[in-house]
Amino acid sequence: MSKRLAGWSIPLIFLGVLFFWPLANILNRGFAGDWALHLVDLRDWQITWFTVWQALVSTAITLVLAVPSAYILYRKSFPGQRLVRSLITIPFMLPTIVVATGFTIFRDAANLWSDAIVWIIAAHVFLNYALAVRTIGSYWMSLDLQTEEAAALSGAGRLRTVWSISLPQLQPALISATASTFLYCTASYGLILVLGGGQVDSLETEIAAAANTLLDLPKASALALIQTMLSVVAFGVSQTGGRSNIGIELGDHDGEVKRVDRKDWPAFLITAAVVVFLVAAPMIQIFWKAATEGAGLVQNFANLTSLGTRNVLNISVVDAGLNSLRNMFISATIALVIGVTVSYLLAQPTKSRSQVLVNRVLDVMFLLPLGISTVVLGFGYLVTFGGYPLPLRETWLIVPLIQSVMAVPLVVRLIYPALAALDRNHIEAAATAGANRWQSFWLIELPMVRFSLYTAAAFAALVSLGEFGAASLLAYGDQATLPTVLYSLISKPGGDNYGMAMAASTFIIVLTFAVVFVISRENRPEPKPKRNGLA
Amino acid sequence: MQKLFKAAAVAVISSLALAGCAPTTDPKTVVLVTHDSFVISDELIQEFETTSGYELKLVKAGDTGSMTNKLILTKDQPIGDAVFGIDNTLLGLAEENAITDGELSPIDFGDVCFNYDIDWFAAKKLPVPKNVRELTESKYRGLTVVSHPATSSSGMAFLATTIALFGEDGYLNYWAKLKNNGLKVVAGWEDAYFTEFSGSSGKGKYPIVLSYSSSPSAEVRDNGKSQTASIRTDCYRQTEFAGVLSGAKNPVAARALVEFFKSQSFQAALPANMYVYPIDSSTALPEAWTKFAPAALTLVGEELDVAGNRKDWLKAWSALFE
Repeated sequence: MSKRLAGWSIPLIFLGVLFFWPLANILNRGFAGDWALHLVDLRDWQITWFTVWQALVSTAITLVLAVPSAYILYRKSFPGQRLVRSLITIPFMLPTIVVATGFTIFRDAANLWSDAIVWIIAAHVFLNYALAVRTIGSYWMSLDLQTEEAAALSGAGRLRTVWSISLPQLQPALISATASTFLYCTASYGLILVLGGGQVDSLETEIAAAANTLLDLPKASALALIQTMLSVVAFGVSQTGGRSNIGIELGDHDGEVKRVDRKDWPAFLITAAVVVFLVAAPMIQIFWKAATEGAGLVQNFANLTSLGTRNVLNISVVDAGLNSLRNMFISATIALVIGVTVSYLLAQPTKSRSQVLVNRVLDVMFLLPLGISTVVLGFGYLVTFGGYPLPLRETWLIVPLIQSVMAVPLVVRLIYPALAALDRNHIEAAATAGANRWQSFWLIELPMVRFSLYTAAAFAALVSLGEFGAASLLAYGDQATLPTVLYSLISKPGGDNYGMAMAASTFIIVLTFAVVFVISRENRPEPKPKRNGLA
Repeated sequence: MQKLFKAAAVAVISSLALAGCAPTTDPKTVVLVTHDSFVISDELIQEFETTSGYELKLVKAGDTGSMTNKLILTKDQPIGDAVFGIDNTLLGLAEENAITDGELSPIDFGDVCFNYDIDWFAAKKLPVPKNVRELTESKYRGLTVVSHPATSSSGMAFLATTIALFGEDGYLNYWAKLKNNGLKVVAGWEDAYFTEFSGSSGKGKYPIVLSYSSSPSAEVRDNGKSQTASIRTDCYRQTEFAGVLSGAKNPVAARALVEFFKSQSFQAALPANMYVYPIDSSTALPEAWTKFAPAALTLVGEELDVAGNRKDWLKAWSALFE
C-alpha cells in the first residue's frame, strides 16, 4: 500500500502543481466577482445551447458517415485499404488552425453557404470522422462474425443484417465514439475562431473573448464552469455506457475479413464520397493555394524564413516550427512518463473495494484536463507562475509543460486499457522466475504494449504540435509556435501572408501524414505463422 | 526501450531543475512589453543601445487589448520593465489598475476614418461620400466594409464615433440603417483593408473601407497619385502611450526607454514604421503623408469612456448583428 502511495506521488504532484493549482488560482479570481449573475444571463445560455447543438449535429453526421466507412475499411478488405486508413487519420491529427484554413478556402471558392455554421459543422465532421471510424472499426473487427454470417445465410439483406445484428453489438463502440466526438466539438476553439471570423460565439471563444478582450474573469469562470459540466456529462456517458477499454488504435491489425463484394456498394459509395469530398478535397485545396497564391510555390516556401508582409510575425515560420518541434519533444516525453506511470498504477490488480473506488477517482482526476478550457488554464498559468516559487513564465518551458498536462489523459486512455488487458499469467511467471516488480514492468509488460506506446507517443506529440488555445496566450514574442504564427498570417492577410500560410499548412500536412503512416507501419503485427509450416 | 525511458526521465528531471532556478535579470537589459503591431528598425535599436548603454529586449504580448489585460493580470510580477502601445481607449483601465509607475506619456496617434477608392468612384461617376451619415444612403448600398468592434480596435473606434455622433439612444438606429444598406463586417482591419477593399492590394469588392487617415500614403501609384483618399471629418483619434511598469526590475532603464520614444529620431521614424503620426508636432512628415495622408480635420468621441462602457456597447451591438 505504502509503495503504491509512493508511486502515485510523482503524478499527483505533477497534476497538482501544473493543473489544479493554476486552475484554482484563476477560478478563485473569477468566483470572487459577480460570476453567478452569468449563470442566469440569457445570452450565456444561448451560447451554451449553440455549443451543444452544433456539437450534437456534428456528432450525428460524423457517426452516420462513420458506420458504413468502418464496415468497408475494417470489416471488409480491398487493395489500398491501409493507405485510405492513414489518409482519413490525418485530419484528426492536424492542427485545428490548418483544418479551418482548408475550409475557409472551400467557403470562399464555393460561395455556396455564407453561413459560417455550415462550415464549422463540416470541419468538425472532417476532424472527427477518423476518430469514429477507428473506434467503431477496430471494435467491429474484434466481434464474432458468426451471427452476421448466419443472418446473411438465412437470407437477410446486408443493410438489415447491419441494422438489426451489427449495430446492437457495436453499442459500446458507438457510445464511446459519440462521447469523444461530442467532447471535441464542444471544446473546439481555433476552428470556430477562424471559420466564424470572430463572429460566431461558442463557449470556448466566448471564454477567450471574456478573458482576453474584456478582462471579465467572473464571466470567463462562469462559462468555464458550464463547459466543465458538459465535459463531465460526456465523460459520464462514455464511462457507463461505453467500455473504458475501447482504444483509438493507430495500428492496423488485419483480421480475417472478406473482400468487398457487389452487395457492399452503398457503404462503398458513401465512404468513397467522404474520402474524396470531405477528407481529400480541403487538403488538396491547401496544396493548390500554396502553389498558386501570391508569388507562387517557390516564393511562398522561401517566405517561410521571413516575418511576413508588414512584419506581422515576431519570428519566422521556420523559427516557430523549431519552437514547436522542441515543445513537441519535451511535452510528449513528460506526458509519456507521467501517463505510463499512472497507467501502470491504475492497472495493478486490486482486491479491496476501497482501492477500486480510489482508482476510479484517480482515473477521473487524470482525465479532467481534457474537459477544461485551455484558455482558462492558460490564464491560470499566467497569474500563477510569474515569480516565487516557480517562475516558469520567464522560461520557454511553460508552453511544453501546459501541453503535457493536456496530453496525459490521452496517454492514459491508450496505455491503461492495454496494460489492464495483459495476460497476468506472463507477469506472474516472471515474478516466480525471480524478476522484481520493476524488472517485470520494464522487460515484460511495456514491450507487450509497445504498439499502444507508439500510438500514445504520436498522439502526445501531435497534441503539442497542434495546440492553439494555451499557446496563443503563453507563447508570445520569440516563443511563437506553428499554430500561433499560422493564425497571425491567416487573420492578417495582405501581401505575401496568405501564400505563406498555405505553404506552412502544406508542410504540416505532409509532416503529419508521414508520422501517421510510419506509426501505422510500425504497429503492423508480426505475420502469423501459416498453419502449414512449409507453405 | 529501457534506454529510451532512462533518457526521457533524465530530460524531464533536468528540465524541471532548469525551471526551478530563477532566471537572473541582467541590470544591463530593459524589457519592453508591446503589442504585435510594434515595429522598430535595427538602426533605432542600435541608437538606443549605444546612447543609453542598455540592451533592448522586446516582448510582443498580443494585440493592444490582450497586452493590456496581461499587464493587469501580472502587475504584481510584471512581464517587463516598460510598456509601449496602451491607447486612449484602455488608458482609464491601465490607470485604474495602477499598472504603471507614474503617468503614461503620449507617443503617437492615428485617426480612424473611412477611406474610399478614387478610381472606382470616378469609373462609376458616383459622387464620393462626404461624411459617415451619407453611408446609409441607397446610392452607397453594398459598398462599405468595416471591421468588427469586438475583434479590432478600429472597429471599436468607429462604434465610439457613432455613439458620439448619434448619442446612446440613436447609434443603434444608425447601425440598423447601415446593416440594411448592405454593410459588410469582417473580423479584423487587415481582412477589411487588404482583402475586401477595392483600392488596395487585395482588389476586393468594396470601394469604401474603415481604415486610417494615413492609409492613402501607402496607395501611391506610378502616376505619383494615391488611388485612395480619406473622409477626414468625424474621425476617432487613437493615441498610443508608453510608460514604466510598476514593479519593474530595471526602472531606470525603462525611464530612459520612454524618453527615447519621445526623441526626435524615434518620432521621425513613426510614419514609416507604424503608419502613425508623431505626437511631437515639430517632427517633419514624409512627402507622401503631407500630400495624401494629412491628419483628420474634425475629431469626435475623445470624451467617451470606452474601456468602461465597451462591454455594454458590444452587447447591444451584437444583438443587432446576430
